[in-house]
Amino acid sequence: MQYSAPPLFKQGISALAKLIACIVISLALMIIDFQIKSLDFIRSQVNVVLRPFEQLMLLPSSMISGGGDYLTSRTTLEKENIALKLRQAELSLLANQSALLAVENQHLRNLLDLQKIVGFKTVPVEVLFNPPNPLSQRVVVNRGQNQGLKLGSPIANEMGILGQVVRLYDNSAEVSLLEDRDFAIPVLVARNGLRAAVVGNGRNQLLQLRYLPVASDLEVGDILLTSGVDGIYPPGFAVAVISKIERNLDQNSSNVFCSPIAEINRHLQALALIYDPEIDAKPASAMNAPAQTGGRRQTRPKGQP
Amino acid sequence: MIDNQSGYILRPVNPSFIYISLFIALLINFLPWGNHAWVPDWLIVCIVFWNIHQHRFVGVITAFVFGLIMDIHSGALLGVHAFSYSLVAYIAIAWHHRITALPVTTQTLNVFPIFALVSIFPVIVLWALNEQIYWWGLTSLIQAAIEALLWPLASYLLLLPQRRPIDVDPHRPL
Repeated sequence: MQYSAPPLFKQGISALAKLIACIVISLALMIIDFQIKSLDFIRSQVNVVLRPFEQLMLLPSSMISGGGDYLTSRTTLEKENIALKLRQAELSLLANQSALLAVENQHLRNLLDLQKIVGFKTVPVEVLFNPPNPLSQRVVVNRGQNQGLKLGSPIANEMGILGQVVRLYDNSAEVSLLEDRDFAIPVLVARNGLRAAVVGNGRNQLLQLRYLPVASDLEVGDILLTSGVDGIYPPGFAVAVISKIERNLDQNSSNVFCSPIAEINRHLQALALIYDPEIDAKPASAMNAPAQTGGRRQTRPKGQP
Repeated sequence: MIDNQSGYILRPVNPSFIYISLFIALLINFLPWGNHAWVPDWLIVCIVFWNIHQHRFVGVITAFVFGLIMDIHSGALLGVHAFSYSLVAYIAIAWHHRITALPVTTQTLNVFPIFALVSIFPVIVLWALNEQIYWWGLTSLIQAAIEALLWPLASYLLLLPQRRPIDVDPHRPL
């Protein structure tokens, strides 16, 4: 062409071309992130830049709550102090007793050659914020890999389990709460030891108890504890309480709804449990190894008589 | 540019004001609102506004970058916000002649489907990838409605630096 368009009409690349490029890139990102989940290094790099701004925007709300705390009167503080001292005395009494019981339990387990109960360490964490997302219910906490958190570490408070670490950064972590749509936790009913799984149903929805036959012995008000079969959650922590049971005899199914015991989105302080039963698991000894001869038929390895 | 509401000619826009306003909207999104269906996405209001009024300065690419930042902030699948923000930015550019000519209240009705697309988009992506529809996710239409209601406020605040003083000197009427 001899004559090109005058500069007045030059507007750079057309918006449609930019749109197509952006859409292709974001589609590729979505598919890679969904299938391979290998883009977390981008997240952690960008998060290094974003965290200071996010922390900055937490200041107004923490100043409001902190100002409220500062202005609480002396009498309320004294009352609180007395109550806390009483509670501490009670708890330390209980702790003495439970230490005795733990020693006795461990001893008995040794005698019976059962697996040892594994202890866990705790890391105090603080919830930073609860990012908007219609599909999930997560919080970001202020401790990460550098403070010893692991992928899958449970997060709990004094009431019970809150959730689990699903994404780990250097100094922060994303925690999936019990309400999260993809969340599942193995539980047992405290009253009769029935095992099942509690599954999240999305933000502000009740949890659901699944994988139980319709005739199971369940009542409204039953407390569900972690069963510990997954090796992720230490056994015996409170998870949820059954709040509604819809039995549907025609389809031989029942919808059991439960609500979390810990107010999962109310508190800022929580504990991360560093629990790894495999570290302490001993290799099978001569005593508890499966019997080699006699009794049950065993499958032969291929190619051997 | 002519302000179609008052009929006055607007002052030329200051590009740094556009970018500062986008950044402030991003920071407002970072406030700990909590994860509720009604919390508006302030950033998308701002992006759509500037794409309608000043698409020479803010375009699809800017929307894409801010979308990636929101993806990482909200812990969503990487690319969900980037896709919906850039798509919506293109729609806003394509519709900008039509929308700017309307009165603000009617504009609100016109931008609602744009915001609804952004709010619903994560549910659509979930449906495309997992083949399950998460019906409760559709409650985020409340978010889109609130963003549409914020539109008059946004058009008042964001055009404020471009408006000339209304009181005209009687000795110099022009």
